[in-house]
Amino acid sequence: MSGVRSRNESAWLLPPGPGGNHKLRERMRRFDDADEVDIAVVGCGAGGSTVLQRLARAGWRAVGFDAGPFWDPEQDWVSDEAGSHHLYWNEPRVIAGDNPVPLGSNNSGRGVGGSMVHYAGYTPRFHPSDFRTFTADGVGADWPIEYEDLKPYYEAIEEELPVAGDTWPWGDPHSYPHRPHPVSGNGELFLRGAYACGIQAKVGPVAISNGRFGNRPHCIYRGFCLQGCKVNAKASPLITHVPDALAHGAEIRADSMVTRIDFDEQTGRATGVHYVQGGRERFQRARIVAIAGYSIETPRLLLNSTSARFPDGMCNDFDQVGRYLMVQGAPQTAGRFDAEVRMWKAPPPEVSTEEFYETDPSKPYKRGFSVQTVSPLPITWAEHVAAQGYWGADFRRYMSDYAHWACLGALCEFLPLEGNRVTLAEEKDRHGIPVARFSYSQCDNDRQLLEAAQSVMEKILKAAGADEVITIKRYAHLVGGARMATDEKHGVVDGSCRTFAVPNLYITDGSVLPTQGSANPALTIMAVAARAAERLAK
Amino acid sequence: MSMLPLDKNDGGGRYPGFSTLAQAHSWDQATAGVVLGRIGPPPEIRFFTPQEEAGAAALLDQLLGQHAEPRVPVVNFVDSRLAEKQTDGWRYEDLPEDGEAWRKTLAALDHSAEELYFQPFAECPESEQAALLQSIQDLGNSTWQGMRASRVWGLWTRYAATAFYSHPWAWDEIGFGGPAYPRGYKNLGIDRRESFEVADASPGEDPLEAGPAALSQTDRKNA
Ligand SMILES: Cc1cc2nc3c(=O)[nH]c(=O)nc-3n(C[C@H](O)[C@H](O)[C@H](O)COP(=O)(O)OP(=O)(O)OC[C@H]3O[C@@H](n4cnc5c(N)ncnc54)[C@H](O)[C@@H]3O)c2cc1C
Ligand code: SF4
Repeated sequence: MSGVRSRNESAWLLPPGPGGNHKLRERMRRFDDADEVDIAVVGCGAGGSTVLQRLARAGWRAVGFDAGPFWDPEQDWVSDEAGSHHLYWNEPRVIAGDNPVPLGSNNSGRGVGGSMVHYAGYTPRFHPSDFRTFTADGVGADWPIEYEDLKPYYEAIEEELPVAGDTWPWGDPHSYPHRPHPVSGNGELFLRGAYACGIQAKVGPVAISNGRFGNRPHCIYRGFCLQGCKVNAKASPLITHVPDALAHGAEIRADSMVTRIDFDEQTGRATGVHYVQGGRERFQRARIVAIAGYSIETPRLLLNSTSARFPDGMCNDFDQVGRYLMVQGAPQTAGRFDAEVRMWKAPPPEVSTEEFYETDPSKPYKRGFSVQTVSPLPITWAEHVAAQGYWGADFRRYMSDYAHWACLGALCEFLPLEGNRVTLAEEKDRHGIPVARFSYSQCDNDRQLLEAAQSVMEKILKAAGADEVITIKRYAHLVGGARMATDEKHGVVDGSCRTFAVPNLYITDGSVLPTQGSANPALTIMAVAARAAERLAK
Repeated sequence: MSMLPLDKNDGGGRYPGFSTLAQAHSWDQATAGVVLGRIGPPPEIRFFTPQEEAGAAALLDQLLGQHAEPRVPVVNFVDSRLAEKQTDGWRYEDLPEDGEAWRKTLAALDHSAEELYFQPFAECPESEQAALLQSIQDLGNSTWQGMRASRVWGLWTRYAATAFYSHPWAWDEIGFGGPAYPRGYKNLGIDRRESFEVADASPGEDPLEAGPAALSQTDRKNA
């Protein structure tokens, strides 16, 4: 692993044991608003932090902005579900369409580390087929890059997080730097049920170190991964990329909401970012700007950055900004066992199968889904039970049975559709900036995938011995909204994440993904960002 | 054993002697501060008007089957969230933001109760309250008082469940150990317990057999 340390020293910069490196923060380099920094990165989540770390290492004068706090896990995070509400993006957003998608706690974070602070921790790669679904199946879109272009970055990031899991047989077969973790009752039942139905299931891949990795402590299997890992066992950019970025002279300006990208009509270039910090409006000059604010806030920021040249929003000449936003169908099916499962013990991400990932020519639908363990804590479980229609005494009786349930979740590859998009609502936030309106409707293929995934999960749980199964339909993982394409009529950025319209403006987060596969996206987002940063540094 | 009164037939008494609060000594300070804050005197009502407070309390008691003392002070918890605008970060286009939506739906609930039973919701006998709520839930995606019934139902149950299942007494009732840092868990796997966990006294009490015929699977969340 010494190779990793020479590329990214983050895990060795953390204190031994939980907590953050306070010295590193105190000694952080600070730039002046009037300095023209080499790059201003908007958002310090999966994509933003990766870019910041790579370019700081390359000697760039780099500043990362985040609307939320610079977290100290010991002080700011709790081992409690309701008490973790502050980790999410809770500012107002409007949802619409035939199948509106709830946001906030369900899918987006705020603060240094981004949504990966409270993501589950699954880090699968996309399959090679994900990069050309249009050519192969006539659905979705082809990427302007191929799997092979990302492969070295997948390998690099898997070492940096690091990822633990079984040797992976699906997609481009590969192995992981760390061995798989032991599994809990939930994972055990998944493995047992899958085996009984002849479905291959594997342990991992999770970004939770298993063994020595710098000063990162071992996972204590407490199950609160979605509330932020106080232990520092689960990877998020806050501990995997930010420390190294700071050590190499990057600045992170937390609690700083970027409200507009500044544009010079004369030169046709971005000149910096307008932001609000502590109620004061400020402006940071920058030679290059990279936006990495998540699939909702990135399009919103572009749409709010109007000028004479871009009356309908920056980079929106062809009405592409905000479009083709995707969400994975994420139905959750639970099964009831007489034995005690106690699924809340151990990390929710444990075991998965990608056996249904690819298009099956014998099926009426295209593309597929994956199945993974999910282990809801009481409040999320209560939502699952309430969705069955129970309330009052029936609800309490059901909930008292919590220890006996195992729960699986599917990720269905919903297709990118033109009309699924972010626009601006009439409503404004407390800074007076119009909030995002996200409209979402499913297509037939999406609905068929949902049904197919549910029946596979029911089959697995029943084969493991469940006497009853219940399902809730949910969504997970937003990507797209400023996708990469071969030209400006079909997307917002090129294969290197550079916007077609403004030569020194980049987008380096999940917004650029043209398709989503049925893999959780964080690893791919980081790999895409790392590739863009490397090309920038050249 | 949970402090909360719950009939044995409704899932009460399944974890005899189990107490998450008895484990508070093993919690980290930040977590203990947040969780223990839910135990003392509940926060004063700041958001609801007295009439709204009465309606909300009755509604939340019905949804959570809380019919006797001691109760989890759910109405105070919901009121606090609304006073502090602690929303979930989204609202449906056809409903106002959560605070306004609560006011509007509580007024609508009183309106319905007046129409049917000639008094505000909170004044109705519990059986009438329950019948009215059941009729709203049964509307599914149809309109109730100008709003999509399933979305109103989702708003109410979302706030109710979040408040109730954040409380240690509710955890005791379902066998959940609460905060687990820095201790973590050592005994993972089927039918394996930590020393402080208590076995379910009625493991065969499958709610699906005991309860009413499973309701049709609705998809309220996505409605
Ligand atoms: C409950 C949950 C579970 C998940 N589980 C998984 C999983 O198991 N595996 C997986 O791969 N993915 C998972 N995800 C998704 C994953 O976390 C996201 O896809 C990923 O983090 C997105 O990366 P990003 O760079 O696009 O945005 P983010 O990581 O969200 O970063 C965006 C950052 O930008 C900041 N920001 C936004 N706008 C502005 C602005 N105007 N000014 C300044 N700052 C701004 C935000 O505060 C935020 O910190 C999960 C998500 C959730 C919510
Ligand atoms: S289960 Fe492990 S990875 Fe998840 S929050 Fe706990 S210590 Fe961190």
